[in-house]
This record gives sequence, structure tokens and C-alpha cells, in this order.
Amino acid sequence: MGSYILGRIIQLIPVLFLISVIVFGIMHLLPGDPALLMLAGAEGGAIPPERLAQLREQMGLNDPLLVQFWHFISGAVVGDLGESLRFREPVLAMILDRLGSTVELAVAGLFCSLLIGVPLGILASVRQGGWIDTICMTLSYLGASLPVYWLGLILVFFFAFNLGWFPSSGGGSIEQLILPALSLGLINAGLIARLVRSSMVEVLGEDYMRTGRAKGLPPRLLLWRHGIKNAMIPVVTMVGLQFGNMLAGTVVTETVFSRPGVGRLIVNAIIAKDYPLVQGAVLLLAVIYVSVNLLVDILYAFLDPRIRYGR
Amino acid sequence: MHRLTRGLRLSSLLLATSVLALGAASSANAAGDLIIAVQASIEPANLDYQVDPYTTTILFDSFVTDPLVIVAPDGTYQPALATEWEIAPDAKTFTFKLRDDVIFQDGTPFNAEAVKYNFERILAPETASTQLAGNIGPLKEVQVVDEFTVRFVYDEPWVNFMDVARKAPLWSPTAAAASTPQEFDKLLVGTGPFKFSEWVPNDHITFVKWDEYGGWNSVQEHEGPALLDSVTIRFIGEPAVLGTVVDAGEAHIGFQIPALSTDMYVDSDRASLLSKGQAGTGLSMVMNVRKPPLDNKNVRQALLYGRDMAQINDLLYDGLYEPSDGPLNNIHRCFWPGATDMYPNDPAKAAQLLDEAGWKDDGSGIRKASGVAGVEDGTPLVVRWQTLHHQEIGEALQAQLRGIGMDLQVQVIPGPVQLQEVQERTFDIMYERLRSTDPKILDDIWNPAYDRPGGWYWSGYVNDELTALLKEVASNPDDATRCEAAKSAQEIIMEEALMVPTLSDPSFIAVDNSVKGFKLGAEGTFFFLHDVTIEE
Repeated sequence: MGSYILGRIIQLIPVLFLISVIVFGIMHLLPGDPALLMLAGAEGGAIPPERLAQLREQMGLNDPLLVQFWHFISGAVVGDLGESLRFREPVLAMILDRLGSTVELAVAGLFCSLLIGVPLGILASVRQGGWIDTICMTLSYLGASLPVYWLGLILVFFFAFNLGWFPSSGGGSIEQLILPALSLGLINAGLIARLVRSSMVEVLGEDYMRTGRAKGLPPRLLLWRHGIKNAMIPVVTMVGLQFGNMLAGTVVTETVFSRPGVGRLIVNAIIAKDYPLVQGAVLLLAVIYVSVNLLVDILYAFLDPRIRYGR
Repeated sequence: MHRLTRGLRLSSLLLATSVLALGAASSANAAGDLIIAVQASIEPANLDYQVDPYTTTILFDSFVTDPLVIVAPDGTYQPALATEWEIAPDAKTFTFKLRDDVIFQDGTPFNAEAVKYNFERILAPETASTQLAGNIGPLKEVQVVDEFTVRFVYDEPWVNFMDVARKAPLWSPTAAAASTPQEFDKLLVGTGPFKFSEWVPNDHITFVKWDEYGGWNSVQEHEGPALLDSVTIRFIGEPAVLGTVVDAGEAHIGFQIPALSTDMYVDSDRASLLSKGQAGTGLSMVMNVRKPPLDNKNVRQALLYGRDMAQINDLLYDGLYEPSDGPLNNIHRCFWPGATDMYPNDPAKAAQLLDEAGWKDDGSGIRKASGVAGVEDGTPLVVRWQTLHHQEIGEALQAQLRGIGMDLQVQVIPGPVQLQEVQERTFDIMYERLRSTDPKILDDIWNPAYDRPGGWYWSGYVNDELTALLKEVASNPDDATRCEAAKSAQEIIMEEALMVPTLSDPSFIAVDNSVKGFKLGAEGTFFFLHDVTIEE
């Protein structure tokens, strides 16, 4: 098991390196001079060329791209992601300040999606072909098809403004978490419901289930002990991938619900062409994403020994 | 939260005066925690305007500290920390007499040395001031005449200094010196009615009442400290949500709400709607005259004859936006009125001008070049319209200009792309907007001296007469003369059709009826909270 985990961790190194190359490359290919953007204020007045040159030098923008990349990657290895061009604060500290809010939202969204998706999938599978199945699957398709932005706004206007049950925006309390988590969760619940249903249908048709029924096991016991447990194995993998979706979804959700998280930070940093902040935030989210998937792989290997022995 | 009855009588509300004293402060209801919702996009990167370039920062700093002078709601300069001032006839020397009873929030005294320290801090390279240092310009020295008299000396006329004096936040030298400029914005210590309490970026900023405040600002109508207990600025990411938060009871004030959200506050018995124009250039678009097809004056004039901005205003904004007919918008004190009738909607005239310029109608809908210098025959008349926002104006104009055979291609671009297009001079028509009550912005935009990185001279048009007029605007100490020069400059700009005036977007502010004493500033970007109370 230990060598399996070590092997998986080593595989992550080129993945993270590639991510950092891509993020760095894209940010530097985009048009616009961040030094100029910083100096071009909102109220007019030309910027003396010497000030611009001085700022470019201070920001290291005159260095060759490879040198800039080396500074970025060598710093990242030791936890130094540089300083935000716009905020002039350490990038890592800025991200860590907001990471709690983003992870909280992603976990809550995942929880919502499981809470809604798993029962819906099970219900559809045990009533396969019936009207309950049709309704459940229609709902799941609907959920999977809705844009998170639109759904978020609908939730705000209905539950916050019309009913006044929850606040429309902000972060820091459970009340402020419910609507954004629900908007993220509902979207992904559809995918989970469909996966659970297909997995359950497959398991319910297995020989051991038929044997169980032939032996006279109570249907509920059979379903819980032998059906759901086995059907959940692919769902575990899905959860890992879903967590990535959740992190990506926070970029939009945090904007709609005005939550102070990493997603919103990234959006603003992209607009401001704040290279270090975008690079650092995306890299850190990528690390979290691959780490979660590593954990899922390990859990999967633990649940199914055939995987860790390469069978 | 219940929905409130909505009506259609917005126009009467929009005529609200710039000062809306909703009622006298009641000592029985003197406390309150005011929540103001604002667009997330206006959140500053640094809360110190000595460092940060954004207008919002001036507003937030005004809660924590008073400047030397203020622009009162009626647009005049009024005393704040300076009781009186004298501007030398040559506009090279500015002398301010300071109040002698002011202390900073850390208990240290406010005096001429403190003012000198602040201006030197702004100009220090390590402060890396991104705007204010540029506005201060070539300041020769700050002289401490006596403990409560300070003098600013220039080698050349600097007529813009009063604008600097009203914007520059003044911080406690003791507090500012104890930290770096980058750290100080979380520790702001000024002389204002509120103390900085907390800033959670992307979420909120909180200010709490400073009990020692002496009412050192002439806009304040009562003695002593402010009446509110605290002020919280909440940043809202989604415009539609911002437009609704006051109606939903989640905020007392919705600042700069979208025009499309104003309906819900008309005839509302819960909140009032205020509207205030923003003096400046309006939502103006500048033309690049360096390359075809806009290097030809006929084409530029045809474009202006082909548009009908009143129709667009009705179509897009129910007529709520304000006309902006010239290089300075119609509410600007130096607006040239002749601009209003210069280019009436006249498609026939536009077609004639395009024919003369060699852009011929071949029946396909879009005109083609025929003998146009520098353009291959048969090239369609395509003009790119690039903007940061308000793309709907471009889209409506696109439909109108189709009528004269011009293909206006609307592109929404981010700020960095805008700057790149400007630097590389590849644009045709670019969004370029400045906000100021001072006509100096004309000099910034049209003077070829600012044809450099970060400069606002984008059009490429050179005219010695225009440049001479702009010099007057930028340096003549006499305000009336400056305004006249500004009007003459606008006439040339419009005659040459160097820009496309569109509309002006006013600030729409929703104010809950429980809020009393709220005062809008002379510009739509500013307000005062000195006398505000909340009556539940």
C-alpha cells in the first residue's frame, strides 16, 4: 500500500509542473502590460515613461520569460508565490485568507449534491422504469443542465428576496452558506443521481443479489447491505472529480453570492492581470484538486484491493 | 421581505436635488449601524488614496479623515481642515490656514508639519502612489509658514491644486511612519468622523464612530462626533442583487445600482431613489484618426449624423440616462452648448458625406471603398467599436449606422486589451471616459503632449490651435478664462468629429426611508455621512 501511495505522489509532480507551465504561459500570452494597468488610474494624467520603466523593473517584468518562470516555480516549491501586483501583499497569505471560505463552500456543495443525488439515484433504480424513475431522472437532467450562474440568481431572488429566509450575499455564517451550497449542489446532484442509478441498476442485476433474494433476505437488508454498498464504489471516484467541479464552480458562485473566496479573487486578478495572484491561486487550487483525487485513489485502493495490486 | 408597490413616476424622483436632507437628526434615534451596498468592482486594492488610484478610495478615506477642503454638495470648495486659503494670481503658490483644534484619532496634533509630512509621503517613491503623486505634479516644496499655516509652491502654474487639496487624505504622521505604505491601509488613522475597523477583502469594510471627532468639516450640520455607531460597506458581486438589496431590507443604501433596477424604487414606500449625474466626458468614445476609414473627416462626421442618441436612451434606459453631446458632458460646468445641435440625426447628410469620401453604396447594405486613399477598392466600410462596458449602446448604434451603410462591429474588451490597443494604435473607436468637474480632463485627452504610455491622448489628432487652447485650460489661473478656452476647444473637437459623444450614466442610489440626513456630493461618486441617522 505504501509503495502504491508513493507511486501516486510521484506521478503528481509532472502534473503540477505542467499546470504551472500552462498557467504561467497563458497569463503571459494575454495582451496588456500589468505595470501600465497599475499606473493608469481612473482620473487622467499621463504617466511619465520613467515611472513606467521603474515599475516594470520593480515588478520583474523586464526579465526574460524563463527567468520570470524560474522565479515563480522556485518560489512556489518553498511556499513563496510572490507578491500581488495590485494588492502588494504576499500571494500565499491572500489565498490562505480566503481558502477557508472556498473549501467550506465546496465541501458544503458536495454534501448537498450527495444528499440530493444519492437518494434520488437509489430511488430511481429501485423503481426502474416507473414514474418515480422518470421524475427522478428528469430532475437530474434538469439539474445537470442548468447554468450555476442562473440557478444562483433564481435562488437569491426566491429564497432571499421574496421569502427572506436567507441572506442574499456575504460569507461567514451558516445562513450565508446555504444558498451558494445549494446552487452548487443542485447542479452536481443531477450527475451523481444518474451515476448512482446506473451503478445500482447494474448491481441489482448481479447474481449475488438474485441469490440473496432467493435465500429470502428482506429486500431492505439486501438493498442496504449488498446493493448500495457495492454500487457506491464508482460514486467514491466521482466524488473526487466532483470536488474539482465544486472548486471550479466557486468562481461563479462566489461572484453571484458575493462570497469572499479564492474563486472571486481569481476573477478579479484575471481582470487586473495580476500575474502572481492568478498563478498562485490556480496552482494552489490545482494542488488541492490533485490531492483530493489522490486521497480518493487511496480510498478506492483501500476499498478494492485489486487496484493497489494492479489487477 | 415583502415586495413593495412599484410605479412609473420615476422622472419626478430623478429630479431630486444633489442634497437630500431627508430629515433632521433626532437625538432620540441618534445611533445606528449603517449598511451600504456597493458594486464589488469598485472595491479598492489599497484603502489609502495616497497609494491607490480609484475614486472609491477617496470616498472611503473621507469617512476616516478630512481633507484640507471639501467640494460641498453645491459644487463649491468649502473649509474642512483648512479654514481659509489663498491662491496666488499666477497659480504657483497655494497657502492654507489650518484649524488649530484638530487632533488625529491617535491623539497626535494636526498642524502644518503633519500636512507637509503627508504630501512628502505621497511623493516619496516608496509610497508608489499610482495617481495622487501625478495629480500633485511638479511641486517644488511644501513650506511650514507657522504651526497652522502651510504653503505649496510650484515653479509653474498648477491650477489643479485645489482638486488635489480636496482629494488628498491626511493621515497621522506618527501612525503612517510606524508602518509601510502597503500595511498602513489596514491601520488608517485620520481626523475623520469614523475610525477604520475592519476590511475583509471581497466582502466588507467596517468603520466605527470616533467619539472625539469635533465636526471639523463644514458639511456637518451638528456639533461633535457623527451620529451613526458604525458604517459597513458591503461589496456585491452581482449587479442584479445590488439593485435589490435595499428593497429586500439587506442594506440601507444601494450605491450606484443598475439603471434596470430603479423601477422597484419608484413610488416605493420603503425607499427613495436618488440620481446624480457625473460631470466629466460622459460615456465617450474617441476616434483614431491615424488610419482609414476614420482618418477622413467626412466619415467621422457621417458617423455622428447617423446616430440618434435620444432614441437609444429611450430604447435602452427608458430615457433615464442623461444626454452627453460633447467632449465634456452636458452637466459639466464648462460644457459647450453648441455641441447639442451640431450633429442632428440626418441619415441623408451622412450618406452624402460618405459618398464624397469614396465609400459607395453598391446595394449590398454596407458601403464599399471606391478610390479611398490607402484602402483597396471594394473594401467594406467596417468600424470597430471597442468598449469596456455599456456594449448595448454600441449594439443599438450598430443598428442605426447600418442605415447609412456602415458596419459597426462592437467588441467588449477588458482593460488590459484596451491599453494594448491604444498603445499599438490599432483601434478605430475606443471607450475613453474621465470624470471630473475640472476641464483639465480635456487637456489630458486631446493634448498630444500626453501621447505616451499611460497618457490619455489616444486620437492622434494634432492641431496647434487646439493645443494652445488646451494649454490655457491647463494653466490659466482664471477659472472663467479656462472654461471659455475649454468651450472653444470643444468646438474644434466637435467640428473635426474626433469623438462620439453618447450618453452620461448617472449614479442611481436607493436609500431606505429609515436613513435620515444622507447628503449626496456634487458628483455622483461621492456622499457625506456626517449627519446621517437611522430611524427604525
